[in-house]
Amino acid sequence: MALTITEENLRTLIDRLIKDGTRVIGPKRAGEMTIYEPLSRGAEFAPGPLPRRSAKEAFFPLSETILSFEKGKDGLKVDDVDTNAFPRTVLVGALPCDAAAPQVMDAVFSWDYKDEFYLERRRRTTIIGFSCTSADDSCFCTLVGLSPTATKGSDLFLTPLVGGGYSCQVVGDRGGELLAGYPELFTESATVTPVPPAEPEGTPVDLAKVKLWLEEHFEDEIWEEVADRCVGCGACAFLCPACHCFDIVDEGTEQKGSRRKNWDACAFSKFTNHASGHNPRDVQNKRYRNRFMHKFKYYDDKFGKTLCTGCGRCIRYCPVGIDIKGILEEIGSRF
Amino acid sequence: MNKSSEKTKSTVTIDTSGYEVATQEIRSEAKRLLTEKIVDAVVGYQGGRRGGSAVPVVITDPDQAEKLVFSAACVNNLSIYLTKAKKEIRAKGKLAVVAKGCDLRALAGLMGESQFKREEVVIIGVTCAGVHRAGTQPGQPLTDSTIAKKCRECSVHIPEGSDLIVGKLPPLPNLSPTEKELMEKLDAMTPALRWEFWKEQFTRCIRCLACRQVCPFCYCEQCLCDRGRPQAVDTSPRPSGNMGWHIVRAMHLAGRCAGCAECERVCPMDIPLNLLNRKMAEELKELYHYEAGLKPVEKGPLTSYDEKDDQSFIK
Amino acid sequence: MPHDFEPKIVAFVCTWCTYAGADLAGTSRMLYPSNVRVVKFPCTGRIDPVFILKAFQKGADGILVSGCHPGDCHYMAGNFHARRRFAVFRKLLEFIGVDLNRLEFSWVSAAEGGKWVEIITQMTEKIRAMGPLTQFTDLADEEQWSGALGNPELKAVYDQV
Repeated sequence: MALTITEENLRTLIDRLIKDGTRVIGPKRAGEMTIYEPLSRGAEFAPGPLPRRSAKEAFFPLSETILSFEKGKDGLKVDDVDTNAFPRTVLVGALPCDAAAPQVMDAVFSWDYKDEFYLERRRRTTIIGFSCTSADDSCFCTLVGLSPTATKGSDLFLTPLVGGGYSCQVVGDRGGELLAGYPELFTESATVTPVPPAEPEGTPVDLAKVKLWLEEHFEDEIWEEVADRCVGCGACAFLCPACHCFDIVDEGTEQKGSRRKNWDACAFSKFTNHASGHNPRDVQNKRYRNRFMHKFKYYDDKFGKTLCTGCGRCIRYCPVGIDIKGILEEIGSRF
Repeated sequence: MNKSSEKTKSTVTIDTSGYEVATQEIRSEAKRLLTEKIVDAVVGYQGGRRGGSAVPVVITDPDQAEKLVFSAACVNNLSIYLTKAKKEIRAKGKLAVVAKGCDLRALAGLMGESQFKREEVVIIGVTCAGVHRAGTQPGQPLTDSTIAKKCRECSVHIPEGSDLIVGKLPPLPNLSPTEKELMEKLDAMTPALRWEFWKEQFTRCIRCLACRQVCPFCYCEQCLCDRGRPQAVDTSPRPSGNMGWHIVRAMHLAGRCAGCAECERVCPMDIPLNLLNRKMAEELKELYHYEAGLKPVEKGPLTSYDEKDDQSFIK
Repeated sequence: MPHDFEPKIVAFVCTWCTYAGADLAGTSRMLYPSNVRVVKFPCTGRIDPVFILKAFQKGADGILVSGCHPGDCHYMAGNFHARRRFAVFRKLLEFIGVDLNRLEFSWVSAAEGGKWVEIITQMTEKIRAMGPLTQFTDLADEEQWSGALGNPELKAVYDQV
């Protein structure tokens, strides 16, 4: 016996969640692309191809106001953001590479400083993961310890079935609670035939060995070879489900304004520019090396996790074709 | 998983057999230039891991010349590597660069702006029938539906003025000028509707700045839009700052942009940025009969003036 | 007579001609609407299009750029450069969808106090009739999630992109 939900009921579930005051974020069509965005109704839900940007925005938005201020007759008034007012959220349709990323980022956001903006959103969000059924030559989740059917990070995990509908697996407590709220939308089916999962190509790489190799090759020709071509944009970091660097800026006038937390990227030359004018990462290949090291060494050193879920977005949208999967394989071949 | 640019109904295929010839000629020329020490490095394209893909590469060893390729996947404008935005490449010494016709126009513009002198660079010009549009899965044939928008209206298939021109031009099909058609539609709109259009486009912008970083003309060491004090444009990726950023970008490229459309190609959010550049180019042509990138000229249209310039808009 | 709407007009002027012209209007006791806020620059050549953008974003309803007549520039050619720059910038704003009635240019010499009064009066009345400019200020409150396209004509173009 397997728990299933029809396509129609899934959309009804989204509609009912929205009606009950839950913010539902899911893949939505926007022109030629799909983006994870708040849905206004179930009909907008567009599962299928990997959305252009990752689902990290549900927890860590591109730009968020962390406080606002206004000068009035009674002096300066500062308004903190009430994190208790964050909506209850369901992230639906996150593919395994997107669903697994928040668990990785939790470590850094709850380390020495507890980032309440991120953590509060995490506490209030239920993730409905989707099994992945199509991969291209940029996908490499299998190289970083995930797979198209990995339930890591999901609270509820849906697998598309041949002939429509989904089989449904409860992974976390929150998934069970969600299910309990709308039991009539789910049914028990005797036999189910899942759509075959995607099969991303690529030679498996031993990440522990990659890390060891990186430890010994901080200075190596490979960085110039693969990253001299880097032009220093933030496309890779901004599309990445696990990149989490941000910058804080004050905007507005002296009368009224906001303090905002915006995404930042280690590829930007300003990222490490000191006030003195000195820049320890003075050329682009060093900036790219940092990105790679952070994902496969530093983050592991600190938190025991790999900061990459193999979604392949940085490969597909790199203006100059820098290929993190290729680099991993190349390093794998050098042990 | 990429955006579905490969519409199956396409029938017009562009003959790219000339690219094989070009590849061979680029290799032997690069080898010669490096062996005879005429240049210290060659900026070209090499094949990537993904089947049929091509990525920029800088080679310094004559033996590496065999890596160089030219194909429909060679979309990058390599002139970026000759600007001061990429000092580490220039530090390698005298450079040779592989350039398509459209890239050559950027090189001409850069020379006009004294970024380098003609004799400092060896230009290997490639006869080009067109390259892939953004999001094309590498390895696809070059067809009506996989060709870049700029190539549909290309007027510089042969890079005149290069030190060596390689490859040969196949017979070219007539392709509909999609960008021109889109431009006409936008021009016909009311300003309010155009505002809605651009607002929608810019709202998607995530300020990854790929458009800036990939642009040969955005070589400023300090971008006005990165500055905090005074802050010209909000740096937050929000609709207001995005609108400011794209207006400033278009203005700063007016009269300089030669239309390589790299900004539009690299935009991960598919914003049709070249429409802005194209509009500015059209206006400059109409107002001051100036076209960017035709030859190195010292003064662009916005760094020079004529006492008889139109001033009908000034009271 | 009080009006329902008092437009905010920002005038970017050069110090040598238009500022002196406005000064002349004042010392001659000529009256003109107080809606205009004058910002003085050394030369129209110093006026960056970014200033115009910023003024719109900060709530200006209309903007005037004014300097020396051609040939009269204190720095020989600053106004000639400005003329080209603004000719092009106008076209860009028009393409983005800004109503060009909101942005005016004039040559006002130090002796033309009367012309200054006339331009400011006319412009104030025109902008008053047009109502407030909200497109830039509204944008400041908008969030990043992209909205739905309501307009079918726009959607058709959008789909083509």
